[in-house]
Parts: sequence; C-alpha cells; structure tokens
Amino acid sequence: MIETFVASWPLFRDTYLVGTAIAFVLSLVGVWVVARDQLFLGAAISQASTLGIALLLWLETLGAAAAAPWLASESAAAACAVAASVTTALATARPAPPGRESAEARTAWVFLLAASLPVLLLAHSAHGLEEVHRLMFSTLLGSTPRDVARFAALALATAAAVAAYRSRLVLFAMDPEMAAAVGVPTRRAGAAIAVWLGVAIGASIHVSGLVYTFGCLVLPALAAKNLCREVRPVLWLAPLLAVATAAAGFVVAHHWDLPPAHATVTGLCAWVALGWLVRRRD
Amino acid sequence: MTAAPGERPLLALRGVELGYGRAPVLAGVDWEVRAGEFWFLLGPNGSGKTTLLRAILGLLPPRRGTLARDPARAGRAQIGFVPQRCDMNPALPTTVREVVTLGLVGVPHARAERPARIARALALVGLDGFAERSFWALSGGERQRALVARALVRRPSLLILDEPTESLDVTSEAAFLDSLAALHRDERVSVLFVTHRLWIAERFASHVALAWRGALVAGPRDATLAHAHAAAAFGSALRARAGAAAEQRA
Repeated sequence: MIETFVASWPLFRDTYLVGTAIAFVLSLVGVWVVARDQLFLGAAISQASTLGIALLLWLETLGAAAAAPWLASESAAAACAVAASVTTALATARPAPPGRESAEARTAWVFLLAASLPVLLLAHSAHGLEEVHRLMFSTLLGSTPRDVARFAALALATAAAVAAYRSRLVLFAMDPEMAAAVGVPTRRAGAAIAVWLGVAIGASIHVSGLVYTFGCLVLPALAAKNLCREVRPVLWLAPLLAVATAAAGFVVAHHWDLPPAHATVTGLCAWVALGWLVRRRD
Repeated sequence: MTAAPGERPLLALRGVELGYGRAPVLAGVDWEVRAGEFWFLLGPNGSGKTTLLRAILGLLPPRRGTLARDPARAGRAQIGFVPQRCDMNPALPTTVREVVTLGLVGVPHARAERPARIARALALVGLDGFAERSFWALSGGERQRALVARALVRRPSLLILDEPTESLDVTSEAAFLDSLAALHRDERVSVLFVTHRLWIAERFASHVALAWRGALVAGPRDATLAHAHAAAAFGSALRARAGAAAEQRA
C-alpha cells in the first residue's frame, strides 16, 4: 500500500502537500471555534465561501469576464471566497447586544442563504452548477504549486501566531471576561481571529471543497479536546491528529481509489468517536 | 493594617463620570482606595457597581474626571480580578492547575517560578492537592476558590471580586468569606468586594462605598453603612409604595 502511494508522489505531490497544509492550518484555527462552541459558525463561513465563488461565476455568465479578463482567473475565485468568508466571520462572530438578533440566528441565515443562492444564480449555467457541486462534494485533486506555496505560508504564519500568543489565545478562548480584565485586547483579538478564520476557510474551500474544509476545521479539535485533560495540549494534538489522519487518508484513498478528502474526514470522525469513548470512561 | 499617612493611594478617582449612552450611570465620583483597606462596594442592581469596576479594570474610560492607579502597586499586573460567574465553556477539558496558570497572563515572571506560585495560590484558598483535578469536578464553592487562586497567582496588591458569592450556598459562602478575610489579614492584600448584601459588609469591611442614584458615597464602614441602611429602607419603602399603588389600580 505504502509503495504504491510513494510511487504516486510525483504525480500527486501538490495535492498531498496542500491537503496536509490545509489540515494543519484549519485544525489550529478550529481550536478557537470549538472552544467557543461556535461549530455552526464554521459551517456557515465555509458555505459563504461557496457563495463568493458562485457570485464570481455568475458575473462571468453575464459577460463580465470579457470586460475584465482577470475575473476568470483562479486568483479571483480565491479572492472572492476569502472576501465572502471574512465578511461572514466578522458579521457573525460578535455576540449580539440584548434585544437584537442572536449571533446563532444570523449564522443560520447566512448558512441557508449561502446554500440556496449559488444554485439559483447558476441554475442556467452548466459550468457554474458543476463548479458549485464540486465545491460541495470536495476534491483535493488539481492543486497547483502556487497553492502549495500559499498554504505553506499560511501554515507557517498560523503556527508562529499561535506560538507567540498561546497563553493569551487560550485565556481568550476559555474566559473572555477574564482575558479583558488582564489586558488582552479582546475586541481586536476577536476581530483578528475572525479574519484569520475567514482567510483560512476561504482559501481552503476553493481548493478542497466544503466537506474537507469543515471537517478539518472542527473534527481534530473536537477529538483532541476529548483526548486531553487541558486546553493547552489541544493546540498541538489537534494539528497532529489532522496531519496524521490526512496522510493516512491519502494512502488509503490512493490504494482503494477513493476520494482523499472523504477518506480523511471519515478518519477524523473516527478520532472524535474514540475521544467520546475515552471521555466517557474518564 | 491601614496605609501609612501620606502614602500614595492605590486608586484615586476625582470627579469621575461613567456611562454608556447619553445619561451617566455614575457622576461626580471622588474615591480613594489605599493599601491594606478592605472595601465593600454596595448598591442595588443597576446602580453602577459593575460599571465602576469596569472603569477600575481599565475596560471603560471615564467620560469626565480622572482615574489614577498607582503604576507600581495597582497596574494591570498587580490587580487580581474574580468575576461574578465563570464564563468558561463546560465542554472544554481543564484542570485546576490550568485555570490558575492562566491567571499569569500579562504578569512578567520566570517560567521556573510557576509551580511555586500556583502551589502557593492554591494553598491560600485551601485547595492544596487540587491542582490535577478537573475544574468541572469541583463543587461551586471550590470552583469559586479556584478562581480566587487564579487572581492570587498574580500576587496582586489589589484583589477585586465582583459578587463572587452570588451562586454559593450559605455554608460555601461563609467558608469563602472566612478564607478571604484571612487572606486580607495575613497576606496584606487590599480587597475591593462588590456585593448588594449588607450583612457581609457589616462583618468584614474596613471601608464601604455605596453606589446609589447615580452617585457614590465612600468612607469608613460605620458611617457609610448608615447611608446604606437608609438607602435600603428607602428602596423598600419605594417598592412597598409601588406595590400598594399597583394593588389600588387593580
């Protein structure tokens, strides 16, 4: 099994590297999502990214690409996905003041709008609908060296930020009121994390699709929190689980000719189930 | 255990006005907190106690006046804060040690001195040997004491507690208050305790501040408690009058 996987390396190197880097980045950002119990927010941001790409494709169907050829580029699609996810993250991450609509209600609205509008916009465009289905279905195949460079940079920056602000991030995730009292700029930190979340999800959705993105965002942190006794070790166990499971998922997928994204997400689901069993015994 | 004459106060508020919207919550606040004092901040719900606390913690700038903290003894790193309730997600795994360790955020310290600081803070609140326990396996009173240990691990000059006994039963509350009094006496920590329960202040306070109708009356315990009793009686009378009026209308 391993030999055939190694033999496939030259052909699928970019796919494997990008998939691994995405798993690393999203699993680290996902610790904050899981710690604040905002899993649905992750789903909504992922879905909003597909809306960003669908809007671009819709503009293309209207002939906008003829006037501005850069609209048809991969970078434009990635930029639209990131813009949509960052906007959603910023709009839904803040708790609502009393008497206003809750953040959860806003998140549900965004999720449903972003799930239905792309299909309506692209209902009469065969290429557009196929692209939306591809994003929903998730595939890592087709990654480019530019994607590898982009996600390697994102992974390095994320690791550096977490290493530099680890204690502050953990306190902010666990107890925002206390974090504010000891001088953590919680409003700025919340906005920075929302932007980071949006960038990571938006960049990932374009390359890997909804299932892989959302799976890598929440499942490693969910599994790790049930396997650890404290929050701080979750910050290294979640990315470790994500990267190891992605690597194993790629090997299995290659051997049995399965979609690598789905093999990885199924493996991560198994870790979560194991975590529940461990926690129940604790 | 009072401050030496002429010693600079830990906190000094002069003509402070605080608020969120157009109308001020508190105005004309003049108040000094000195080393070694045990202050109780009293007042009914909505009187501005938490607003004043937020200002002292640096989370709400005064709209008027000055709020000065002695940078050497009441800077951010020298203030320990115990919130009213624990806002942590109970689905997160955490131990008493981790909770207390997080109290060191923003405090310059050597990593090697952490274990000793944590052990000392836990001992001060009577939780020695609890470090490895799950925070969620503790009783309500023990959790509250762990949160006090999280504040004490900073080795604060000023300990601020926002209605910390609200969710405790009578026995836990009494034990908690006794350990706090011992801490004030033995460790020379100045305390600012926010509550709306007069009896606690009567028993433990050296000084009392009363937030009432947009103003703050502050001074030694007995003088200010007289105001507090008057305010409580006035509040009761107002409530009784409103109730009688409502009955009459019905």
